[in-house]
Amino acid sequence: MYTTYNLFNDVLNLRDVFDDFFRRVPSRASRRVEFPYVNLYEKGDEIVIKAILPCVKSEDINVQLIDSGLVIEGERKIDYADSPYIRKERDFGKFKKSIRLPYDVDSNRISATLKDGIMTIKLAKSEAAKPKKIEIK
Amino acid sequence: MTTEVTKIKRDAYDQDENVIVPPVDIYENENEYVIKADMPGVKKENIDITIDNNELSISGSVADEEKSRENIKYSEFALYNFFRSFNIGNDIDSGKVTANVCDGVLTLTLPKREEVKPKKIEITAE
Repeated sequence: MYTTYNLFNDVLNLRDVFDDFFRRVPSRASRRVEFPYVNLYEKGDEIVIKAILPCVKSEDINVQLIDSGLVIEGERKIDYADSPYIRKERDFGKFKKSIRLPYDVDSNRISATLKDGIMTIKLAKSEAAKPKKIEIK
Repeated sequence: MTTEVTKIKRDAYDQDENVIVPPVDIYENENEYVIKADMPGVKKENIDITIDNNELSISGSVADEEKSRENIKYSEFALYNFFRSFNIGNDIDSGKVTANVCDGVLTLTLPKREEVKPKKIEITAE
């Protein structure tokens, strides 16, 4: 297969190289999400929220249900004495995050577990929010 | 845990696998180096630490149900297996390395070899 060689191909590639250089920001800067990272799963009538909180003890976390939002706040304490460090990539300190829930939840049926640095919160839809069948007369 | 980076690692069958590079803190004091790595979702039995010549590799695997993206409505993170490797010099006593896991954080203690530890030099008065 012969392909024609276009002189401008190389020049246009050069432009892409420059674009990539300016577009590829180091991952620290491009993370626009605040600690702790959360995932929200929804299955039928249950919402499950998973939050990443490595090495935070449960007494340092405070989870509250306020109106129809879940608020997770707490503090990640420094876990090593202040020896001189060669490299430090992990963040510490206080955090607070609120998550808006898509519908009302039953405040009596909430459970939260913390294992291996991942906190799993299970919430059940409240009775009022469940879909109701409307009779057509 | 802001700087976790995913990269694609080729495994033995030349298949691409996404791995997360765990953020680490490295500390040094006069007796040892301490490496602390954030690996949430990894249990003690799923961590693998090897020292091969001058390269230290840490890898942790996450259970499949933590990785599953089923029914996900909003996501800020994705869990894959963890892997990171370091080049360490000759000043580590590889026989005495200890590791400890707590709540998703791995603490590796690498004691320095005796010859490398700072020694106090006595000044004798003349």
